[in-house]
Amino acid sequence: MPIVADARNPEPSPEGKETARVIDARACELRPVTTDLRAHLGEGKVTVCDAEHLHGLAAGLKTGEMTILGNAGDYLGVLNDGATICVTGNVGNYLADNMTHGTVIVDGNAGRAAAPYCYGGTVVVRGNAGDFTAVMNKGATVIIGGDVGDEVATYMLNGDLVIAGNAGKNLGNYLIRGNIYIAGNWQTLGHNTRLEELTEADIAKLRAYFDQYGVKADPVAFRKIVRLSEKPFYKAAEKAAAHGVPR
Amino acid sequence: MPPVNGTFCVTVMKDQCINARMPGKCATCVEVCPHEVYAIDAAGNVRVQNYNACVGCRICAEFCPEDAIRINPAESEFLVRAPWTFPQVEEIHHKALTGEYELRGFGGMGMAPTFDQITVVPSQIASPAPRDKYREECNLEVVIGEGTCENPMRMHYPLFFSAMSFGAVSKEARMALSIGAAMTGIMNNTGEGGLVKDETWLIKGYENEARTLKRWEPGGYLVVQWSTGRWGVSADFVRAGDAVEVKIGQGAKPGMGGHLLGAKVTPEISAIRGVPVGSDALSPCRYYDVETLQDIKRMVGFLRDVTEYKVPILFKLGPSRPYEDVKALVEAGADAISIDGMVGGTGASPAVVTQGVGIPTVGLIPPAVRALKEMGVHHKVKLFVLGGMRNGLDAYKAMAMGADGVGFGAAAEIAMGCRACMACHTGRCAYGITSQDPELRARLDPYEAGQRLANFIKATAEEIKILTMLSGHDDIKQLTEEDVRAMDFNTAAITGLKLVGYERRLPWWENGHDHPE
Repeated sequence: MPIVADARNPEPSPEGKETARVIDARACELRPVTTDLRAHLGEGKVTVCDAEHLHGLAAGLKTGEMTILGNAGDYLGVLNDGATICVTGNVGNYLADNMTHGTVIVDGNAGRAAAPYCYGGTVVVRGNAGDFTAVMNKGATVIIGGDVGDEVATYMLNGDLVIAGNAGKNLGNYLIRGNIYIAGNWQTLGHNTRLEELTEADIAKLRAYFDQYGVKADPVAFRKIVRLSEKPFYKAAEKAAAHGVPR
Repeated sequence: MPPVNGTFCVTVMKDQCINARMPGKCATCVEVCPHEVYAIDAAGNVRVQNYNACVGCRICAEFCPEDAIRINPAESEFLVRAPWTFPQVEEIHHKALTGEYELRGFGGMGMAPTFDQITVVPSQIASPAPRDKYREECNLEVVIGEGTCENPMRMHYPLFFSAMSFGAVSKEARMALSIGAAMTGIMNNTGEGGLVKDETWLIKGYENEARTLKRWEPGGYLVVQWSTGRWGVSADFVRAGDAVEVKIGQGAKPGMGGHLLGAKVTPEISAIRGVPVGSDALSPCRYYDVETLQDIKRMVGFLRDVTEYKVPILFKLGPSRPYEDVKALVEAGADAISIDGMVGGTGASPAVVTQGVGIPTVGLIPPAVRALKEMGVHHKVKLFVLGGMRNGLDAYKAMAMGADGVGFGAAAEIAMGCRACMACHTGRCAYGITSQDPELRARLDPYEAGQRLANFIKATAEEIKILTMLSGHDDIKQLTEEDVRAMDFNTAAITGLKLVGYERRLPWWENGHDHPE
């Protein structure tokens, strides 16, 4: 069972604010840790430590604030639907998988496919993130303070991806909607992408992101990548309309 | 000497033919036919002079300025013109003209091995006596997730409606499927198009969102699908179902993701899927958040966690390597595995994939069952098969071979009124089943269609009952391979069933060398 610190003598969180519970997840399985998380998140902030071996931690939470001391495993915050999750170390693969609302902030690095399939919310990784980061992003804000790998933002359908460092191959492959802002260089751009000038609104938006999440970057140094066409595949609807008859 | 082919009928429609109305004005067919099927006389009249010379090339039909000629095979073109049959020639022409390959709806059609060469063994003297279908009982229940979750699904029949996404099918069709499932106590699957909210109360037999008007008993089960596109997926979506199904693939396009062409991406679909209106929604072919079997196990873990360990976790496979695939999913923690055979249908897929890729349903069952037996979980981890399942006979045979039930996709659409025109991808379905056009959708009444689906399921269940009882059983769980026989060598070789006449399995099945080391 997870060791839960006494609420009458809560330990301070890294931010110096009072924490309602500290859960020591050492050698615990996912189920009891989840039970305790859900029970205590409504009472105040929760801190979890020694949780790197747990995969799929903090899944589907709708409210609450929690901090993971040290590293976290794969699928942290999967299906997050409103909670704020902070990690002081690194995370494994598939951070905030399919998130819909909420905020996930990682002080260290993220593994493969960080923030995949997200519909909303914000993911911040202050370090680097791996291949396929923000794949099929459908509306989240994803901010990476370092470099990202290959195939990043593949088939992105909406939202903002901000990369303060460099990217690898095939950046934004088959981008459909949304914006990719990148301060560094990329190896190659993917299909259906083009560069666009930053607008004043873009600069203001980036500055607001950086101020809010403490990212040290200059908005004007970024370049913006957007889609070429919203319908780059079969174009069936256009053909049908052009010919006036269904295919 | 002209060739004597003799297998095509030449019809000239006189009311359209220019020459019939004005002799001498047109003799295009005479000029273009390479085998002198047509001739023109001194008065300028064209006639068919040698039917037997027609080879079915249809050059005359193509050149006829009035489209007045019809060439129809007297024998199958696959016997006399293969491989250059009319459909094959037209396909190549289409590619040459457009640079595009064919996309179409529905499933594989043609000559894949089916269950038709398997027969049911009735009971007589040397086996337990048959049961009386009219006066005795037969248990058709299937339970999914017993012992692994708080709320297993107890299906009244070993039948269900397979995944058909909102987008591929209309909202009315989705509602009808849930009503039909509610009326029969079986499961219905959302497919990968997200959730039509109405289904969450219709599936339980309620007519209204407040769940105060119970109209249908006993109520069914809604399976929410977790797939490679994650269209409309959220924590609420995952929790909305009575089970979660992880889709690895499907029979119509194994190795590819779901296809919803732009013509069917309306504002309503766009809002759920996050794809722009009119833009093709092409699901990825694989999970970007899975690389290893370990990842799949962790996925099962967090899906159980998010649903508070209350619901079963199912998997759906396309037809690939059933022995290895099933073993992997058992290890991953599946409560049930559905395998969709190569003739399984879809709303849209490249034709070459629908027609040419995958393993026939009848060939999937033996290796899948062997995997389950070796893992010690046969009939505990449930096995469902789908892909071209048509009736109680197919279902019985699949279960005798070791499956726990079967799913209906195309057959369910046909129960709602479909006639298999294979144009689902256009969105012009005349019955409003696979259309997003409001005018066409208005033709499909969800309540009436739900009743038709329930009628089809009940009739099919009665067929299963008949066959189960005449073969000496009062419970579908008692069915074994001994209850069926293969009627030809090919089927015996594929399935490992005993061959009629020989009354034994073929030697390599019997000797235990039925699989590669």
